[in-house]
Amino acid sequence: MAFLQFENIEKTFVNERREEVHALSGLTFDCQKGEFLCIVGPTGCGKTTLLRIAAGLDRADSGTVRIGGDDVKGIRSETTLVFQQYSLFPWRNVMDNVAFGLEMRTQDKKTRYSLSRRFIELMGLTGFEKAYPHELSGGMQQRVAIARALAYDPVLLLMDEPFGALDIRTRYRLQEELLNLWQEERKTILFVTHTIDEAIVLADRILIMRDRPGRIERSISVGPPRPRDRRSKAFLELHIKIREVLEKIIN
Amino acid sequence: MRSLLLGILLPLIILFVWEIAAVQVNNPTLLPRVEAVAGRLIHPFSDLLNTGSFVRHIIVSASRVILGFLLAALVGIPLGLLVGRHLLIRQIFSPIIEVLRPLCPIAWIPFAMAVFKTYTIADVFGVHYTSSLFGHIQLGMLFVIFYGGFFPIFLNTVHGVKSVKNIHVESSLLLGADQRRLFRKVILPSALPAILTGLRVGLGISWMVIIAAEMLPGSDAGIGYLIMFSYELAEMDILIASMILIGLVGTLLSYGVKWISDRTSFWQAKER
Repeated sequence: MAFLQFENIEKTFVNERREEVHALSGLTFDCQKGEFLCIVGPTGCGKTTLLRIAAGLDRADSGTVRIGGDDVKGIRSETTLVFQQYSLFPWRNVMDNVAFGLEMRTQDKKTRYSLSRRFIELMGLTGFEKAYPHELSGGMQQRVAIARALAYDPVLLLMDEPFGALDIRTRYRLQEELLNLWQEERKTILFVTHTIDEAIVLADRILIMRDRPGRIERSISVGPPRPRDRRSKAFLELHIKIREVLEKIIN
Repeated sequence: MRSLLLGILLPLIILFVWEIAAVQVNNPTLLPRVEAVAGRLIHPFSDLLNTGSFVRHIIVSASRVILGFLLAALVGIPLGLLVGRHLLIRQIFSPIIEVLRPLCPIAWIPFAMAVFKTYTIADVFGVHYTSSLFGHIQLGMLFVIFYGGFFPIFLNTVHGVKSVKNIHVESSLLLGADQRRLFRKVILPSALPAILTGLRVGLGISWMVIIAAEMLPGSDAGIGYLIMFSYELAEMDILIASMILIGLVGTLLSYGVKWISDRTSFWQAKER
């Protein structure tokens, strides 16, 4: 049985203009334990809604979401989410941001800090433990947010366009760092992006969503072993294939 | 250094114009000379008009303010946190607060005098040393200071709680926070800068209200009382010296709270 299961999810909400938006309809997919799953799709196809439902922040109108066989009824301790940006606590320095999740589990400051230090190191933030979010660039802030999520040690890591606001160099570097981490820790990752390139670099499998209402259009396994060369023939062919599916959706 | 020099320029001009005017007027019961007022100010411990020294009057006024202000904070902050967090409580409190808020605390002074008469803290707790400080802290004055300080503290706290960012709340819940931790580790630190702003404004208003309250009949001490008393005896040098002291103490109080808030809310101004 798959680790994460979405079955026939329906979700409608009312937007600011008081119109009903059918965000997700008949959304069904599985994700295996330890799988790195990327989700791409046009803007407004319900990618974020999907993640929020998986995180237990929002409830589906109907259908079932299961994690490890249990119905998801709210926020669960084995799941966490990395937002697109600006989710750090501005009154806490880097160390105390990263240690936040551990603070909920252990009273001992020393244990918290030594556990957190490992992820600060992994994300290349050593030397910035005492810095506050407003003193960091967007890319560094995002690395802190990822370190914070990892220090919480989730089984399921949800990521909502975490590199969306970053410049391309930072983006490439963080993709690499995330892959290294995933290979080391073998978390199950659900990663939403709107760049095809990013999805191919990262994923075991890519889900392509269509919009109005949002559901899964195609599921494509990414064959080539990592690290994947962006200029290789297989990479480019896959890129074109996904692009064609997306273009068909948009038209 | 430059800003210090520029800042001191205008006070010097005012002193200069005042001195010239005082020499021209040549009537100390109308406008005393600068050195007469300064002469009063450099002896803060000397008795004035048989009522006690500047320092004593300021201590009396400040204790009234601090006590009333602490009460206002003690009620205003928790109530603000509750009202900010819970819709039901907000719906209960909002209408009455909206009506009471524009009602100036000074308008309450006659009411407070009528209700509380001249009862003091000493009367309430049965400690009757007439010379003690508590004997000068009238309940009516405490009430109006409480009233004046309460609204800025309460309203800023509500505002602080309501403007806690949803992404911070959700992030903390997704990192395992329960309701208690959410409150202690996210809501409270998030709202702290606004709460401190409320305290600063509240303290400023309390300090204004006490001066007004002390000027009314039934008052027996305090810097506001000293102003009124020196007016009645046409002691303009004491009157002006008192006004200067009120300004200085008010500034000091304001900077005290600002000092604290700058150290705890440093992240707020720079947050993107």
